[in-house]
Amino acid sequence: MPYTIPIGPYHPALEEPYKLSVSCIGETVQSVRLDIGFSFRAIELLAQRRNYIQDIILVERVCGICSHVHTLTFCTAAEEIAGIRVPDRARYIRAIIAELERLHSHLLWAGIGAEDMGFQTLFMEVFAVREKVMDLLEAISGNRVHYEMNCIGGVNRDITDPEAILAGVKQMRAGIERDIVPSFMKSDTTRARIAGVGILTREQALQWGVVGPVARASGVATDVRSDHPYAAYEELGFKIVTRTEGDVRARIMVRAMEMLESIRLIEKALRELPNGSLRAFEGVPTIPVGESTARSEAPRGEIFYYLCSDGSDTPTRVKIRTPSFVNLPALEAMSVGQQLADMPLIQASIDPCMSCTDR
Amino acid sequence: MNEPNENALAVRLAEIPGAALLEAHGHGLWMTAPHIDVQHMARTMVSLGCRLSTMSGTARENGETEVIYHYSLGRTSLNIRTHTHGGTLPSISALERSASWIEREIHDLYAVTFVGHPNLERLIRPPQLEEGFCREPGGAGAKEAKA
Repeated sequence: MPYTIPIGPYHPALEEPYKLSVSCIGETVQSVRLDIGFSFRAIELLAQRRNYIQDIILVERVCGICSHVHTLTFCTAAEEIAGIRVPDRARYIRAIIAELERLHSHLLWAGIGAEDMGFQTLFMEVFAVREKVMDLLEAISGNRVHYEMNCIGGVNRDITDPEAILAGVKQMRAGIERDIVPSFMKSDTTRARIAGVGILTREQALQWGVVGPVARASGVATDVRSDHPYAAYEELGFKIVTRTEGDVRARIMVRAMEMLESIRLIEKALRELPNGSLRAFEGVPTIPVGESTARSEAPRGEIFYYLCSDGSDTPTRVKIRTPSFVNLPALEAMSVGQQLADMPLIQASIDPCMSCTDR
Repeated sequence: MNEPNENALAVRLAEIPGAALLEAHGHGLWMTAPHIDVQHMARTMVSLGCRLSTMSGTARENGETEVIYHYSLGRTSLNIRTHTHGGTLPSISALERSASWIEREIHDLYAVTFVGHPNLERLIRPPQLEEGFCREPGGAGAKEAKA
């Protein structure tokens, strides 16, 4: 006779509130039901009551981790309607911040993953490196979380001393290469705990429409940076990271290797940072009648915005689809047949963000 | 993934009952087809290897809801716009697993009934609010309402 274990909405195993109702026979999971909406703020509705400048501030607050990619995607959608060409220097700066943000997100996740595995020393190592990323973001933007770098037509702040940022990135690279990547890729402790756990096959990944590291860990080679290049990714020559195992370990390995690719992209962008202006124009933008969609690769996968303008200073519709919104339902497929004790780890392996999901 | 060219794609999409002309603007292809058979459309999209990114709902003044199905196929973005008839649209969640939550969210925010959805219950709507609480004008209309 199956029994149901409720996990959440407020539970030590979950970083943010949502509810898993896990149906089991013995210790084996038979099915999982998800309930979300505990962080709902009606941001899409608020966005169609505010002007474009206010909306940049608003959409930055969809998420505390990937705030930059939200404003970047919103601004890209508005720029497409208005036919605004963003200056090269601004495109490079957007990519640099986006990759620092990815490092921040992947490191935060790696720390939580290490803790969920019971690997406390690795958690400490990861968070020491994460602190360096936060320092770099603060050095560039003045903020540790909401960087406020993007405006419609460019960026608000310059990177005035690329060499100083490069020196910080070099320190970070050393920590990631020496401690973090080997711990996740080669450690027997890690392998024993997570290999073969929470498998999502390639067919299931396609069926559930998952995105980002979750899709790439199941062998689906999709990444907006190569599928629909934006910012400076065309010039920077992005290399996609995939695995085929589809388990928790593969999701960890994809993120670990992506950290190294992010560092390569940041270093290249800083070395090749073009001269020129930061904004296509000064003053308040005018967005004509029109509509557009924009996609970016957030740390957790594809983020999608649909923007519709009636020519006034307030959009008629701002639709936001975040990666966690499509990745979370696939938890049902990953969990069937798994051990109940592995559920905290399996759910953490998709790096769910409820602020993004609920908006 | 083998990406069909735009002409081949247009031919396949034109075969869908109720389909209209495909237009290119911005970085994507757009179709406005008020009477498109959305379940036939979903089957065609699955067979082409398209991924459903999401669906956007927007309230119309006449009480209906505009729904745009946003698909992605490699570097191609496809956006197919239709609208509800009597507040309903056929569900595509049996054909596209990822549509299930999307349809439940649009049901919460715009009170659209997706006929055939196996579980059209509350997803993100706070329980104290009615279905369709996002049905208000945006843009200049929002400013007029505020004034």
